[in-house]
Amino acid sequence: MSDSVSPPGDDVRVRSRGLSRRGVLRGGALLAGAVPAAGLLSACSRPTVAASNGKPRRGGTLRVGVSGGSAKDSLDPHSPLTYPDQSRVVNLFEPLFTHDADYRIRPLLAESLESSKDGKTWVVKLRKGIEFHNGKTLDANDVIATLRRVVDPKAPTAGAGSLEMLDAQGLKRENATTVRIPLKTPYALFEDLLAQYTLGIIPEDFDLKHPVGTGPFSYQSFKPGDRSTFRRFDGYWRRPAYLDEVVILDFADDTAKINALLSRQLDAIDNLPPAYIDMIKNQGGQVLISKTGSWNPITMRVDTAPFDDVRVRQAFRLIVDRPQMVDQALGGQGRVGNDMYAPLDVAYASQLPQRHQDLGRARSLLKAAGHENLSVELVTSSGIGAGSIEAAQLFAHQAKGAGVKVDVRITDAATFYGDRYLSWPLAQDYWITRNYVPQVDSGSLKSSPYNETHWNDPEFNSLMARARREFDADKRKELLQAAQKIEYDRGGHIVWGFKNQVDAYAANVTGFTPNANLPLSNYEFRNVSVSD
Amino acid sequence: MSRSATEPAAVPAADGSIHRDDAPSPIRTWTLWTLRRVGMAVLTLWLISLLVFTATHLLGDPAEAILGRSATPERLAALRSELGLDQSAVHQYFSWLGGVLTGDFGTSLATKGPVSTLIGGKILNSAVLVAVSAVIIAPLSALVALYSARRRDRAVDHVIQVALLGTAALPEFVIGILLVTLFSTVVFTWLPSVAVSWAGSPWTDPVVMILPVATLTLAVVPYVARILRASLIEVLESDYVEMARLKGVPERRAVARHALGNAVVPAIQVMALQLAWLAGGVVVVESLFLYPGIGTALVDAVRNRDVPVIQALALLIAAVYVVVNLIADVLTILVTPKLRTGVR
Repeated sequence: MSDSVSPPGDDVRVRSRGLSRRGVLRGGALLAGAVPAAGLLSACSRPTVAASNGKPRRGGTLRVGVSGGSAKDSLDPHSPLTYPDQSRVVNLFEPLFTHDADYRIRPLLAESLESSKDGKTWVVKLRKGIEFHNGKTLDANDVIATLRRVVDPKAPTAGAGSLEMLDAQGLKRENATTVRIPLKTPYALFEDLLAQYTLGIIPEDFDLKHPVGTGPFSYQSFKPGDRSTFRRFDGYWRRPAYLDEVVILDFADDTAKINALLSRQLDAIDNLPPAYIDMIKNQGGQVLISKTGSWNPITMRVDTAPFDDVRVRQAFRLIVDRPQMVDQALGGQGRVGNDMYAPLDVAYASQLPQRHQDLGRARSLLKAAGHENLSVELVTSSGIGAGSIEAAQLFAHQAKGAGVKVDVRITDAATFYGDRYLSWPLAQDYWITRNYVPQVDSGSLKSSPYNETHWNDPEFNSLMARARREFDADKRKELLQAAQKIEYDRGGHIVWGFKNQVDAYAANVTGFTPNANLPLSNYEFRNVSVSD
Repeated sequence: MSRSATEPAAVPAADGSIHRDDAPSPIRTWTLWTLRRVGMAVLTLWLISLLVFTATHLLGDPAEAILGRSATPERLAALRSELGLDQSAVHQYFSWLGGVLTGDFGTSLATKGPVSTLIGGKILNSAVLVAVSAVIIAPLSALVALYSARRRDRAVDHVIQVALLGTAALPEFVIGILLVTLFSTVVFTWLPSVAVSWAGSPWTDPVVMILPVATLTLAVVPYVARILRASLIEVLESDYVEMARLKGVPERRAVARHALGNAVVPAIQVMALQLAWLAGGVVVVESLFLYPGIGTALVDAVRNRDVPVIQALALLIAAVYVVVNLIADVLTILVTPKLRTGVR
């Protein structure tokens, strides 16, 4: 399960603003000050375009600036790595289930999903009469072909990791709209896996050169690292889109992206740095703020001194001033975390008391652990996403209050994600919104691909194994909350906050609504319209 | 970059002495000098190729950088052998150089296609941007310089000098940002702020070219104009222009016939330097305006650790430097009678 889909830093597999953010090649940092300053100079306030009267207008083109992207861009439905990749696949393809704006699971191409008693066989029923862009009707065979492509051992996709329990050979077409899906091991939350946007259903005869899906927009053109265009699909099974056309433009540089929105060359942009919110509003633009479950934890290796002593981990969690972190590292665009992740999961343990900074208690815990005057190195990188370095430096500053000396070591993305990734004793990482069980699978088990804290707690493991097999939602919630309590008490993550997603669009655009998934309302342009 | 502006002056006769009767023929001296100068250029380029290759190798393991978070020992090994990283450095260098000499810059790691396909169109876009800018820079600088030189030490000259100095002190991205703020985002929204053309190539859509060209022009004109003004003043105060004036030749003709010709050499040299600078300066300006040229391609390649593309572009920019300087030196010789004859 690739998780590096989203940090807007220079993660080598992702996008990057690293160069510009470090100001190597251009004055991004200088500009951050320069543009708003220039804003003060402009005495003339410009007339704003009258917003439409709430009735969507049919027709027109939406020009969207999406951050990142490069010559490596791809249209592959099952391996979107960067924001532009994501914005394309969610408009071309649709999975069987989806996460709605509040991150609840809803059926999409599927009508229902039933499991056998033992949780090892699932039967999915498809909606009738769904058409692909080429006129072909959706059939059970397409679903089978899709799942087999995703887990193909010869060319594993981004979504392959989460479907390891799938028995791809045993997939069976019962009839045109029914597929039997056998699993190697029981998995109670299989629906959640089928709702990943990396599992868009494709026709059996899929050809990457002319990608065909069931989404509201059909493929028109694609230039990697530059732009891609899409046309409304009139045969769409729900209400078709209002727009005639969507143009997605890659923007490696934030400054250029914001300027292009202000100069009316773009109608919408994703990932607006919070510092620009007021400026965009002053210039007559609109800002879209969405609560998400994405988090940027400080990670402590629980098997390495000094963090193998639970008292040191507890002390570090009491060192951090969470509101100050959200305020400064996220520009106020976020909410305070409580050392647990997956806040949008129905099973999130919100009843546990919120942790606050308590330097006195942190000192006494460290003293008890024999680590007075502790000195540690915190490894960070611009590649872990915007605000990471700021968060690291702020944490170092806060730690002084507890007598802990934290040296912040800033590395480039290649170093951070190189040989020593996942083995730094004290570092950070970046995770997008997920529900609890998939998140644990990705990062909190011995078998997880990204277990930065080397978390391997027997009690926790057995709770998770039981939850995975528990089909009763209430009982499962109890198990998951017990697991969260363990992490809350002795885990290796400092989850100090959750980031808001901030995007911007022009005055004459309507239909963008807050959404916990991907930027710009999960890039769902079907509901967006532009007025003249 | 070593500039060999002094090189031609060091062309000695065969034995270093100067005797009218056994002086070498100008043609032979000229040919010898040119061959030597071209040889130097080739040597420089070869050294640059070594440097580029070494530097890109010091970037660290591209395989690791490419795979990033998904690096597993098996995948790393597979990718390393795919990229030929398991060969010795010397072997890698010579196979790369051999490719370059036959016009094959290898395969892009990002697109998996030939590097030449990836950067061909972008080179053209950048060439157009630089050419359009140069066509504006040259006459504009000359006009400003001439206007200033003819009015030297008057108030208007001082104002122009201060303005030129002020502009020269600003880095090109600051100039670009100020222009964008003024003309496309905050104050007025007359011009596009990014060179995104809906038609295809940016230069088929002239309006998107305005700000990038204006930025390059403002970044370069101050240098050229100030040097030209200085050399024009020197010429205007020289004995032969003074003589022409005493003979009653009208000022305008004195300037045109006698002064301008002698100011051409420094003009060529400074233009060459600035053109060479444009090849690199274009990187920053392109990034600012998202202009699809070698600049954005280079930034993209560095981010992707696309080593073959970085190597090709670095070599290309260096080659532009070397070739432009070579041409400037040859032109200098051609327009300087004293040097042209090979006799001092």
